[in-house]
Amino acid sequence: MEPNGILIYGETDNNGKVAPVVFELVSKSVELQKKLWNQRIMVCIINKRMHFDETVKQLGEYGCNEVLIVNDDRLSDFENYHSEIFTEVAKKYPPRIILIGATEKGKKVASYTATKLETGLTADCTNLDTNEYNLLLSTRPTFGGQLTADIVCSTFPQMATVQPNVFPKVKQNEIKVSATYNWIDVSEIKKKIEIKERTVKKVSTKDITSADVIVCAGAGAANEYGMTLIYELAQKLNGAVAGTRETFEKGFITKAQQIGQTGKTVAPKLYIAVGVSGASQHIAGIKNSGKIIAINSDKNAPIFKYADIGIVDDLFKVLAKLPDELDK
Amino acid sequence: MNIVVFIKQVPDTNNVKWTENNNIDRTKTESIINPVDRQAVEAALEIKDKCEGTCVTAVTMGPKKAKSILQEAIATGVDEAVLLCDSKFAGSDTCATSKVLSAIIKTKFPNTDLIFFGQSAIDGETGQTGYSVAARLNLPVISHINEIIGIENNVLSACSENEKEKTLINVELPAVVCVNNYINRPRLPKIEGYIKAKDYIYPTYTLYDTGLSEDETGIKGSPTKVSHVFKAEDGRCCRFINTEDENCIINLANEIKGAIGE
Repeated sequence: MEPNGILIYGETDNNGKVAPVVFELVSKSVELQKKLWNQRIMVCIINKRMHFDETVKQLGEYGCNEVLIVNDDRLSDFENYHSEIFTEVAKKYPPRIILIGATEKGKKVASYTATKLETGLTADCTNLDTNEYNLLLSTRPTFGGQLTADIVCSTFPQMATVQPNVFPKVKQNEIKVSATYNWIDVSEIKKKIEIKERTVKKVSTKDITSADVIVCAGAGAANEYGMTLIYELAQKLNGAVAGTRETFEKGFITKAQQIGQTGKTVAPKLYIAVGVSGASQHIAGIKNSGKIIAINSDKNAPIFKYADIGIVDDLFKVLAKLPDELDK
Repeated sequence: MNIVVFIKQVPDTNNVKWTENNNIDRTKTESIINPVDRQAVEAALEIKDKCEGTCVTAVTMGPKKAKSILQEAIATGVDEAVLLCDSKFAGSDTCATSKVLSAIIKTKFPNTDLIFFGQSAIDGETGQTGYSVAARLNLPVISHINEIIGIENNVLSACSENEKEKTLINVELPAVVCVNNYINRPRLPKIEGYIKAKDYIYPTYTLYDTGLSEDETGIKGSPTKVSHVFKAEDGRCCRFINTEDENCIINLANEIKGAIGE
């Protein structure tokens, strides 16, 4: 069978809620669909038995043509079987392109699938396009984000993973979507991994990937006083606190708050960089933000090249005065 | 018990040289051991400390000078250290790399009980290799492991933790385990270790030892190819707030209010 279509891993949580990155990938696929003639957009959802009507409708609104559902009560959101099942689905409906969100779960599914299908996988792409031969062109930062590379895969399916928040979600008009239920016998898969216990952690800090406002602490602000001022500002703006790799390494933020190539990609309406120098690894994680404001005492800091508004001043001085002015 | 730890030499990201094929020229770039791979070695050594008769082998694929990270591994306490080195491996992507690593397990270390990887490398690799090697060997893989609890009756218990949840996992051996950077603090090499590292004869395996064909590895065996490399320059036009102006903080506050729509 000639490979056809764009297949997306429809990551869900245990309640069947589809991860935001799936809608982002569907939206990007609509763009690719316009360039590649006659490619169906398919999303594969793997979960226990439940009602998927609302999910199917939602995916359709963003341009998905077909939802492939594998539901079995032995399945949960745990990814143990997902890699095997997704691979089977990709064999049954051989696609031209496979797109997967670069989440913890997604990365595992993507690596397994690419290996079993003997095809190439480009991870953590920052853009997707097509070249003159109608092949997928995957753009990703290489080498610690110092350079950007376009990567082409010579085998089918062409696979790519993309971090959440890289592509915007775009609703479409009048797309017809259908749902197909598939049966894959999971009892065939030998169970070698057993989950003994799962504890959901209390998340003490605000999720930076969905925040409208982020105040980011760079190396210049990474001390007790700086962090106090940053938390104060974030609270005032009802925003989340994030940091760079250096700030994480100094222990002032958690891994969940780290932005950049080794951390998260964010796209808030407002991003305030405080004492952030602006290494390209960091920029890769913030460039989709709405407005970027940078506060740094070094006028040559690269962050200013990527900011909309800059203020060259002592950050402690600025942050100490700012909350009062915001109240006015 | 036989443990293999795959370690990777990563270029010092401050000083990069490129080949004509747009791949990293590792011969001209200074190399260090990937930080989390050090912790993978430590995880293996901690098992060795507890289980008598355990043999830990560090394996790396790379150019001749990658021997330096094997020396470091020997000095830290691993029993054996092996270099996978062949010009035909050069330019391998994850797909081709995982073929070489899984092939060497099959040909040279068929009795391996446990394979360790660091979760990801700092040089642009994105944590696929461990999963891919596991898939090729049809082994179970557990990842983001921040604690090894123990091994009993050929079952390894471990804890995986991310920002949202903590999971206790049991996995049947043989298995692949990818550890994260919270797992441990690697020990420092001892003087005796350095002496052993100096005298140790480092076996080097080539394409021949993997049993693979030339077309399966290196640039030929890599489905993904870099078509174009460029410097990312998509800057914005920054407007500076004049700090000489006594209203500068007010101006800044207004910019913030404008952005959040107040």
